[in-house]
Amino acid sequence: MRQLLTVTEALLRTLVRNRQALFWTFFFPVMLMVVFGFLGNSSFKLNLLVAGPANGPEAKIVQAYEKIPYFKVKRTSRQRALHLVRLGQADAVLLLPPATTPPPWHATLVYNSANMQTAQQAVSAVTSAAAQINLAMTGQHPFLVVKPQAASGSRSATYLDFLLPGVLALMAMQNSLFGVAGSLTRWKEKGVLRRFLATPLRPVQFLGGVVLYQLVFGILSAALIVAIAVVFLHATVVLPLLPLLATVILGMATFLAIGFVIAGFAKTEEASMPIINVVSFPMMFLSGVFFPVTTLPPFLRSIVHFLPLTYLVDGVRGLMSGQYAAWAPAVQTDIFALLVWFVLLAIVSTRSWRWE
Amino acid sequence: MPASQGGIHLARSEFLCLKDVHKTYGAVRAVDGVDLGIEPGRIFGLLGPNGAGKTTTLEMIEGLRRPDSGTITYGEHDLVRQPRVARERFGVQLQTSAFFELLRVDETIDLFASFYRHTLPTETLIERFELGEKRKAYVQHLSGGQRQRLAVAVALVNDPEVVFLDEPTAGLDPQARRNVWDSVRQLREEGRSVVLTTHYMDEAEALCDQLAVMDHGRVLDEGQPKELIARRMPGAFIELSSEVPIADDVSLPGLERLTREGPKTVLMTQHLDETLAALAEWARARDVPLTGLATRSATLEDVFLHLTGRSLRD
Repeated sequence: MRQLLTVTEALLRTLVRNRQALFWTFFFPVMLMVVFGFLGNSSFKLNLLVAGPANGPEAKIVQAYEKIPYFKVKRTSRQRALHLVRLGQADAVLLLPPATTPPPWHATLVYNSANMQTAQQAVSAVTSAAAQINLAMTGQHPFLVVKPQAASGSRSATYLDFLLPGVLALMAMQNSLFGVAGSLTRWKEKGVLRRFLATPLRPVQFLGGVVLYQLVFGILSAALIVAIAVVFLHATVVLPLLPLLATVILGMATFLAIGFVIAGFAKTEEASMPIINVVSFPMMFLSGVFFPVTTLPPFLRSIVHFLPLTYLVDGVRGLMSGQYAAWAPAVQTDIFALLVWFVLLAIVSTRSWRWE
Repeated sequence: MPASQGGIHLARSEFLCLKDVHKTYGAVRAVDGVDLGIEPGRIFGLLGPNGAGKTTTLEMIEGLRRPDSGTITYGEHDLVRQPRVARERFGVQLQTSAFFELLRVDETIDLFASFYRHTLPTETLIERFELGEKRKAYVQHLSGGQRQRLAVAVALVNDPEVVFLDEPTAGLDPQARRNVWDSVRQLREEGRSVVLTTHYMDEAEALCDQLAVMDHGRVLDEGQPKELIARRMPGAFIELSSEVPIADDVSLPGLERLTREGPKTVLMTQHLDETLAALAEWARARDVPLTGLATRSATLEDVFLHLTGRSLRD
C-alpha cells in the first residue's frame, strides 16, 4: 500500500506541474457552462414599439410603459413599426391615435402571430399594463392590489442547473479516458512502464497507484467545477455527498476500465487518441449531457440506454437536481448499470492488457 | 563454448549463470540457446549488432521476461521461478530508461527508493553522479548525459550486487561516454558486477573484463578481450593502397589471407616480419611503390568480422 501511495503522490506532483493540461481540463467545462449558462439565463423582455403623434398625452403613455421592466419600449414611425413586427424583429406595436379627441382613446395593438406563446404574452402584458395606466391616469382607487413576492429558497430550473451534472459526468469520462489510455500508452511507448517492472513494485501496485491518482484528480476537479458553477455562475444544486460520490466514482471506474482496454490495444499514444474519440464522441452528444435523452428519436434512445455515460449523467443529474432522493430506486438502477459495465470492462481489460 | 570445467568456472557458475536459455517471439528466435557465466566483481560485456538478442538476454536475467526454456541461477536462487529476487537485488538501467518527465531528479530517486527494503541515501547518489546542480530540475529538462547519469543513479538505489546497463553510452557524445566508463569502473571497484551490452568495439575492448560475442540469438565466443583476439586473430594485418597491383593469389611467406576492403588491400599474416620482408622484396623486384603501407594488430572488430562474417555497423 505504501508503494501504491508513493506512485499516486508522484503522479499528483507531475499533474500539478502540468499547467497546460490542467488549464485545458478546466477550460472546456467552464466555457461550456459560461456560454450555455448565459443563453439560458438571459431575462425575457418584450420588444414593444410605440407609433403615434410625437407630442401630446401619448408621451405619458410611453413613459408609463417604459416604467414596466417587462417591456423594452422604442418609438418609431407607424410604417416602420409594422414592418419590424411583421418580420419578427419586434413582438408588437402599439398604434396610438392622435390625442385630439377626448378619452377614451382607442389604440391598436398589432402583434406578430408567428409564435403563439410570445403573442399571448404580448397581448396580455400590454392590456394589463393599460388597465394599470387607466387607474393611475383617472385617479380611481383600486379594488385589488397584488404584490408579487419571490418564494425564499426557490430553485430555478435554469439550463445551467441542467447542464452542470452533465458537464461533471462528461469530465469524469474524458479525464478517465485520456488520463489512462493516453498516459499509459505514452509510458508504454517510452519505456517508463518497463523501468517500474524492473523493480520489486508489483504491477498491481503500480496500476493501483495510477487508478487512485485518477480518482483523486477526478473528484477534486469535479468539486472545483461545482464550486465555480455555484459561486460565479449562480447554479443551484443539491449535494447528497455519499450517493453522489458513489455514482461518480463508479462512473470514473467504468471509464478508467475503458481506458485500460484501449491502452491494452493501442501501441502508441497517437494510436490511442482516435480510439478514445470514437468511444467518447457518441456518448458526449447522445447520453444526455447537453439535452435530455427523451428528446432523441426512439431508435437512438434505445441505443443510448446501453451507454454507460447515460447512467452516469442520469444519476448525477437526478441527485443534484433533487429529483432523486439519496439511494432512490432510480439511483440504484443507475449504480447497478454502471456496476455491470465496470465489471464487464474490468474483466476485458485484465485480458487485453499488455505491458509492452 | 567454455562450459563449467575446472575450478574457476565452478566458482563463476555459482554466482550468475545461464544455461541453454531460449526465447522466441512468434517465429523469431530472439535467444537461441545461450550459456553464460558471470563472475562477481567483474565487468561483463555482451557485444553484438542490433537484434542479436543482447537486450532480451539481459531482460530475462533481470526478471522482466520469462525464458521459454533453460535455467538462470543467481547463487542458490532460480531466477526463472523467482524473478522477484532479481528485481529486488539487481540494479537495472534499461535501453530506454524513461522516467516521469515532470518529476524532479531527487523525487525520481526517492520514488524508486520507496520500492526497496535496502537503499542508498538519495543525497549520496546525487553527489556521486554529479546531479547536485540538477537536484531540483524536472527530468524533462535534463540533457542526454544527465538523463543517463540519473538512470544509473536509479539503478544503484538498492545498493545492488549486480548492475545491468543496456547500451549505456548509446547516443552520447565522447565526453559523456568517458564519464559513463569511469562510473562503470567505479562500480567494479566497489565490488559490484556489471553486465553491459554494447555495439561499440572500442567500448567493449576498453571496459570489459569478460566478453561474449552474440549474433542471431547465440553466443559465438566468450573470453577476455585480449585473449579473444589472440585466440581468434593471432596474426597481424598489413594494409596497402589498392593501387598496388598485388594479385589475389600472391605467394608470400606467412600470409594467411588477402582481402580487399574498399580502397585498401589487407594482408593477414601469422608472421609479420617475414611477410613484410618478402613484400618489400616483391615490390623492389617489380619497381612498385608500396603506397599507403601500414601495419596493425588485430582488434575486436576483426574478431567480430571473423565470427559473424559481417561488420557491426551494418
